[in-house]
Amino acid sequence: MRPPSSLKQEFLKKWITGLQRCSSSKRNMSILERTKAIKLSADVAMASARNSTTCWSRALIANASKDGSDGKHLVEQILGLESERLMMKKASTGALVCNKRIRSKKILKRSCRIPRTRKCVPQVALATSIAKRMVRKRTQVLKSLIPGGEFMNEVSLIEETLDYIISLRVQVDVMRGLAGVSELVNHN
Amino acid sequence: MFPSLHSLGSCTYNGMDLTVLEKQQARLKWLQQQQQQQNYVVQNNAHVELCTSSVPQFQGLLGSSLCGGQLVELKMPEVYLGSDDFHKFVNFSVAGPEFGVSKMDLVMPEAAADYSISRTSGCQMTAFQTAVIKEEGEDVVLEKMESTTGRESFNKRKAKAVADYKCKDKKIKEVEAESEVKTKCSAEVSRNSSKEKSKASEVQKPDYIHVRARRGQATDSHSLAERARREKISKKMKCLQDLVPGCNKITGKAGMLDEIINYVQSLQRQVEFLSTKLAALNPSVEFNVDNLHVKEFPAYVANFPAAAKSPAMANLACLQLNPLQKEAVNCILDATMHPPGTATEGIASASMLIPEQALGSSCVTQLQPFSTWNTDPQCLYNVYNMGFH
Repeated sequence: MRPPSSLKQEFLKKWITGLQRCSSSKRNMSILERTKAIKLSADVAMASARNSTTCWSRALIANASKDGSDGKHLVEQILGLESERLMMKKASTGALVCNKRIRSKKILKRSCRIPRTRKCVPQVALATSIAKRMVRKRTQVLKSLIPGGEFMNEVSLIEETLDYIISLRVQVDVMRGLAGVSELVNHN
Repeated sequence: MFPSLHSLGSCTYNGMDLTVLEKQQARLKWLQQQQQQQNYVVQNNAHVELCTSSVPQFQGLLGSSLCGGQLVELKMPEVYLGSDDFHKFVNFSVAGPEFGVSKMDLVMPEAAADYSISRTSGCQMTAFQTAVIKEEGEDVVLEKMESTTGRESFNKRKAKAVADYKCKDKKIKEVEAESEVKTKCSAEVSRNSSKEKSKASEVQKPDYIHVRARRGQATDSHSLAERARREKISKKMKCLQDLVPGCNKITGKAGMLDEIINYVQSLQRQVEFLSTKLAALNPSVEFNVDNLHVKEFPAYVANFPAAAKSPAMANLACLQLNPLQKEAVNCILDATMHPPGTATEGIASASMLIPEQALGSSCVTQLQPFSTWNTDPQCLYNVYNMGFH
């Protein structure tokens, strides 16, 4: 893993270029639009700073481009020209596969639900089963939090969480710094 | 070792109840008289009829009374000793009181005891053969046997191994009721049932198998993979524990996951909040990066990595300023950008400039300490950051 300072640099560079591209395409945005654009650009910059070697970064880009037409537009703008082609292809295929997987998973769940509930009834009293259930529930929550986490197994989920937390920290650090600077400037 | 031998003194023999040929019965009786001290019961059983052509066979049965005085017999029918033409059906059922205690780890002394036993049985055998020759003198085969006493001793060594083996087997049978070593037992029993040619090297094998059998319960590919997976997860979890603040004291996976979830959520909310804040603070997303020295960063950062962010942000920020403020901020930036030697001038000029530009007095006080800390860019950066809040 790279040192956080270099990650910060890369993130900042990408974010700024992304924001530049973003602003060049569209003038006079409302505050909500601006918020969205900033967040999106920050996310995409963070994802691309990780070089899309991780699942969450790919899923993040895919989700951002899936958001809507303007989201897709933004992603296109934020990402570079060459990398954009690559990303879009990946993202689109990823989304398609994701949808398929979701459907099949749902079917599987529905088919499994009835016997499982029946089976679980006598086990409720067991402490181990309770603990297991708790862990399972929390794992589900974590999966929903991490981008692309629905399709990870437990091991990769933990790994991705690790990576994601580091990246989020970098993002928060940089954004806080930038906010501080702009606050100071505005104050002046 | 010796107690076991002495215990043989109290051996009981049960040769009576076995039907034998009359001749051999007589021979047996003679033998019993000869060896009452040793108390070896050598009995020829029905197997003799099968192989009378080549070799006499003896079934030496060393029955020794156990704690309860009951005789423990081996179920093992026959053991082939090597590739010799000389078959012996030797069933040693040796059980000293110490065997009754059944210490599995005392294999070596027991083996020694067995060895001595087999040796004594061997010499007894030769005596028996000579006696047979004297008495009857009928068989050429017996002469052959006599000539092959050396070979016989070799066979005795093998017999020792077998005896050792059997001892183990019997021990296992004794312990079987309460032992947890059932896997070993079963392994050995299975080995015994398959009449293999016993070699000394194979005596060592049961331990090896035993280890494998013991581990065999958890060595099937599924549980092995499961264990590896769990180890991986726990390793990663430890990393996460270090990373997430306040997760060190929590034990248990559920609690840790809770903490991780909270942390991720808080970070995501922070990002949300900060982006809103940035959007509110800046009238447009346009962060002009024309005079942002993106290309110069790496060289600069190589020297002062900690201060990397501040000039860039300041440069970004100054785009929105009026010219006067811009100048002031630029001065500060120069101070931070340049090496410490020139920084003093820059800061001095900044502190000179700022009051002239009628900025707030608070700002001046914030900027004043710069001149004292000019040698350390890290400190500069810190002060700069402090000024933000």
